[in-house]
Amino acid sequence: MKKLLCMVIALMLALTAIGAVAEVTDLPREETLYFGGQQWGPIVGHNPLSANMNNAMALAANASGSRTIMFETLYMYNMLDGQLYPLLADGEYVWNDDMTEMTVKINPAAKWNDGTAVTADDVVATWDVGIEVKNSTYNGFAPYIESVEAVDGAVVIKAVKTEDGKPVNPLQLLDFVSGTYICQKAWIDTVVERNGGDAAKILEDAGNDAAYTGPYGPYFANDQLVAFVRNDNYWGQDESMWGKLPTPKYIAHGIYADNDATLVAFKEGQIDVNQQFIANIQNLWLEEDLPIATYIDEEPYQLCATMPTAWYNMETPVLQLAAVRKAIAIAIDYDNIIENAMTNQSPSFADVPRSLMNPTDGEQALYDHDAVAELQWVGKDIEGAKALLDEAGITDSDGDGYREYNGEKVELNACCPDGWTDWQAAMQMVAEAGQAIGLDITTNYPTWDIYQTVFTKSSQDEYDIFMWSPPGSAPSSPWGRVRAFMSSDFIGAENNWSGNYGHYQNDRIDEIIAAIPLTTDEDELKALYTEATEIYLTEVPSFSLMYRPTAFHEVNESVWTGYPEEGDGTSIPPTVLTDGYGIAGLFNLELVG
Amino acid sequence: MKNTLRSVFHSPRFVVGFVIFMAILLTTLIYPFFVTRDPLQGLGKGFLAPGTYVSVYDTNTAQTYRVELPEANANRMESIVPMEDRVTIIEFLTAKGVDVSHLTTDNSDVAVLVSQWKENYDEADVKKSKYPGFTTQAKRKALARLDKRLSGNQSLAAMNVTLGDGEDAATTKVADSDYVKVSEVANAITLPLGTDNFGRDTLTELVKATGVSLLIGLIAGTVATLLGLIVGLLAGYVGGLLDDILMFIANLFTVIPGFVLLILIYYSIGQSARGVTTCALVIGFTSWVWTARSVRSQVISLRNRDHVNLSKLSGHSLVRIVVTDILPYIASYVVMAFILQVSSGILAEAQLSLLGLGPKTTEVPTLGLMMNWAKLFGAYTSSNAWWAYFPVILVIALISFSLNLMNTGLDQVFNPALRD
Repeated sequence: MKKLLCMVIALMLALTAIGAVAEVTDLPREETLYFGGQQWGPIVGHNPLSANMNNAMALAANASGSRTIMFETLYMYNMLDGQLYPLLADGEYVWNDDMTEMTVKINPAAKWNDGTAVTADDVVATWDVGIEVKNSTYNGFAPYIESVEAVDGAVVIKAVKTEDGKPVNPLQLLDFVSGTYICQKAWIDTVVERNGGDAAKILEDAGNDAAYTGPYGPYFANDQLVAFVRNDNYWGQDESMWGKLPTPKYIAHGIYADNDATLVAFKEGQIDVNQQFIANIQNLWLEEDLPIATYIDEEPYQLCATMPTAWYNMETPVLQLAAVRKAIAIAIDYDNIIENAMTNQSPSFADVPRSLMNPTDGEQALYDHDAVAELQWVGKDIEGAKALLDEAGITDSDGDGYREYNGEKVELNACCPDGWTDWQAAMQMVAEAGQAIGLDITTNYPTWDIYQTVFTKSSQDEYDIFMWSPPGSAPSSPWGRVRAFMSSDFIGAENNWSGNYGHYQNDRIDEIIAAIPLTTDEDELKALYTEATEIYLTEVPSFSLMYRPTAFHEVNESVWTGYPEEGDGTSIPPTVLTDGYGIAGLFNLELVG
Repeated sequence: MKNTLRSVFHSPRFVVGFVIFMAILLTTLIYPFFVTRDPLQGLGKGFLAPGTYVSVYDTNTAQTYRVELPEANANRMESIVPMEDRVTIIEFLTAKGVDVSHLTTDNSDVAVLVSQWKENYDEADVKKSKYPGFTTQAKRKALARLDKRLSGNQSLAAMNVTLGDGEDAATTKVADSDYVKVSEVANAITLPLGTDNFGRDTLTELVKATGVSLLIGLIAGTVATLLGLIVGLLAGYVGGLLDDILMFIANLFTVIPGFVLLILIYYSIGQSARGVTTCALVIGFTSWVWTARSVRSQVISLRNRDHVNLSKLSGHSLVRIVVTDILPYIASYVVMAFILQVSSGILAEAQLSLLGLGPKTTEVPTLGLMMNWAKLFGAYTSSNAWWAYFPVILVIALISFSLNLMNTGLDQVFNPALRD
C-alpha cells in the first residue's frame, strides 16, 4: 500500500514537471524574441501603479527610456539625438510663452487593448491616482507639476511656479512625458473601487486585468519564464505611428539563476537580446565565432551614457576634508579599472576627461574643456596624492605605514553590492590605491538587499566609499545629473534613490542647479555648467570610476536579425529593443533563415 | 617512535601523498626567493594567455642577426592571412557570384585571393545586397574586420620602422631575414600561466595563494583538532554531567549542517573584518565536532583499562592520567583526524570564497579567491581563460589528494583491521 502511494506521488510529481516544461516550450522559436538579463525571479503582476511588481519587461518607466512593450508613454526618449518622439502623443508638445504650461495632443488613432480610444482624461486620471497613491514615479514629479488637465481633448501640464511666476523646472516636464506610463481611466476606477480607495492596497494590487496600449500583452508567467503575446489589433499599425506590427509574435524572458546561467543561454542562442556585462565580450565573436554582435564593433563596443561613481560619505569625519577626497581620487589607477574591470568596454579618462557630462558629444559640448583642464586628473598619481595628504596634515606619525587623522589610523571601507563584477573589481582598485598612499582602505561587498537599504538612508555610517550610478541620458540631462551629483535637495531624504547619496552640501551649487533650467542663453548655460564642473572637480564629493552604457546591448543572431547597429541610418538607440525609442527596433526584425 | 615512523614511511600510499604535499609546500617556500615580485601586482591588461611576451619597442633597438629560414615566407603568409580567413574570402566571393573555382587556399593562391577580395569587397554593398550567408550583423562585421586586417601592412618584403618621434625620428629598414635573440631584448617576460583578470602573473599569485590556503588549513585543522581533542578527552574521561553538557553542545553542532553554519557566520562577520586568520579560526571552530565525538568514544573504552585504574589508585592528577595514560593510545587517530581537518579546512575556504564569502581581497590571494575572481570575470564562459582557474583547481585537488593519501596510508599502518 505504502509503495503504491509512493509511486502515485512520484508519478504525479513527474507529470507536473513535464506539464511545466511543456508550457515553457510552447512558444514557437521562430515567432519568439527571447530577452535576457532583465527579469530575475517570478513576476508579481502587471499593475502600472505599483512599484513592486518585479515585472521588468512590462514595467520600467523612467525618463532615460521607458520600456513600452505593454504600457506606453506620451513620448519616447532617444538618447542618440536627445529628442522626444511622439508615442501616444500627436506631434510635438507646445509650450506657452513663459514655459509654465505644456500642451500635448493625443494621437486620435491610439486605442486601448479593449478597443476604446485613449483620451486626455486617461492622462489626467493617471496623474491624479499616481499622486493619490503616492506612486514614486508620479510622486517624484509633484514638486514640479502643479496639475495635469484635459482641455479641448488635449492634455495641459501646468508647472509649479516660483514666486515671480517662473516655472520651477520646465525640464522635469519633459522627463514626465517620457518617463511615466498612461493608464486607462476605466481601469483606474475599477482598481480604486475594488480596493476601497486604500492607497496601500492599490499599490499591492496585482493588476493583471490592467488595460494597456502597447503592442504586447501578458501571455503567461511562471517561475521559469515570463511571456507576452502580440496584440494583433495594436493601434500602432496606424500610418500615423509605426504603420505595422512588431515582427515577433511573442516576447519572452527566461528566469535564470544568475549572470553565468544567462550568459550560457545567450551563447547557445536561447536568448536573442541580452542585457548584461560580459567580460571580454569580443571573444564571443573573435575566438568562439558565435553569431553575436554589439552596437559598436570596436572598443568600447557599447554606447556609454552614464558613469558609475564612487561617493564619499560626508558623515565620515576624515572624508569631510576635500584634500583627502581628492587624494584618494587622484591615486586610483583608472586605466587599470577600465582595462581590467570593464575589459575596455568604456572610453578612458584620457579620451573623455572627467566632468559632470556623459561621453556623448551633445553633453561634452556643454562645458568649457579648457577652463577645467587643470583640475582634471587621469589617476595613478600616487606622489601627488601623498603630497596632498601631507599638506593637509594627515601623516603617519607612529610609523605603522598608515596615516593618522586626529591621532587615529585612517580606516575606510570601499563598498559595492556582491556579484556586481565590474564594480567589485573597481572597488578592489580603489582599496589598492588607498593602501599605496597610506590610507587603510579595504573592500566590502554586502549583498544587494542590504546594500540598497544602507546607501539610500538619510544618514548612515556603515559605508565610507560606495558605488552607485548617476542618471544616464534623459530629456533633462545633464542638468539632472548635476543635481544628482551635488544637490542638497536629497539631504535628509529617506529611501533616497535620486542622488547625492553622500550628502554633500554646497550653497553655490544649489544656486547653479536652480538657475540652469531657467537659462536659455547658450553661453550663459555653458558658463553655469563649467562652474558646476569646476566645483565638482575641486571639491570631489564623488568621483566616477568608468563610463558605462545605461543598458548593455548584445544580440545573438541565430534566429533573428535586423537589429540596430552604429551607422545604420535608423537612429534607433541600442537600448535592448525595448527602452525609449529603442522599441522601434522590434518593427525591423526579420528571421535569419 | 622510530619504529612507528619507519613503518609509516614503508606505506607506499603515505609516501606518495607525503612527497606530493612536500613538493607543494617546498614550492611555496622556495619560489618567493626566485620571483620577488608582489603577487598582487598587475602586469598586463586582463587575461593574457600563457607565453613569453617580448617588448616590440625593445626588439627594434636590440642587436639583429641574419637568419635564413626556408619556411619563413610560408609562416608569414599563414600569419597574415590565416586559413580561416582564406576560407571566408572564398565563401564571400562565391556568395557574391565571383568565379573562384580555380582558386584554392594554398599559399600560392593567397595573393590572388587577396586581390580578388580587395576588388569585390565593399562594406556598404554587403549591407545593401544581403549576400546569402552574410545577412546578419555578426557576419557582416566579421567581413569588415577581415577587410581591416587585409588592408594593413602585409608586404612580405622589407618593412620600415620609425623610432622616436618628431625631429629625432629615425627610420630603419627591417629586412625579412632580421632576427633578434629573445634573451637580448631589454624587456621580455615569460608568464608560464598567463595573467588573471587583474593582469596579475597567475603563477606567482598561485604560489602565494597556495601558501595562504595551506596556512588557513593548518590553523583551521589545529584549532579543530585541539578543540575536539580537549572536549572529547574531558567528556570521555570525566563523564557524568560534564559529558552530558559537552555532548549536548556537540549534538547541537552536529544537527546544524557545518557549511550552512560557516556561511552564516562568515556573512555576519562582514567582509572587511574577514582576515585570513579570522577565516581560518571560524572554519576551525565549526568543525571540531566529529573529532570530539570519536575521541570521546575511544576514551570511554580506555578509561576502565587496568593501567588507567592503577594510575588513578596511585593518585595521579587528571591531567597526568589523560596525557600519559590515554593520549598515547589515541595519538595515531588524532594525527589522522588532523590531516583530514587540514584538508577540509582548505576546501572550506575555497568553497566559501567561490561563493564570494572569502577573506577580504586586498591583502593576500587565496585559492578560493582566485577561483572567485576567475568566475566573476567569465574565465570559463566568455573570457576563455583556462589558465586562470584550471591550475587552481589542480592545486586544490593535489593538496586534498595528497592529504587523503597520507591519511589512508597512516590508517593502513595503525588500524589493526587493515594491517597486511
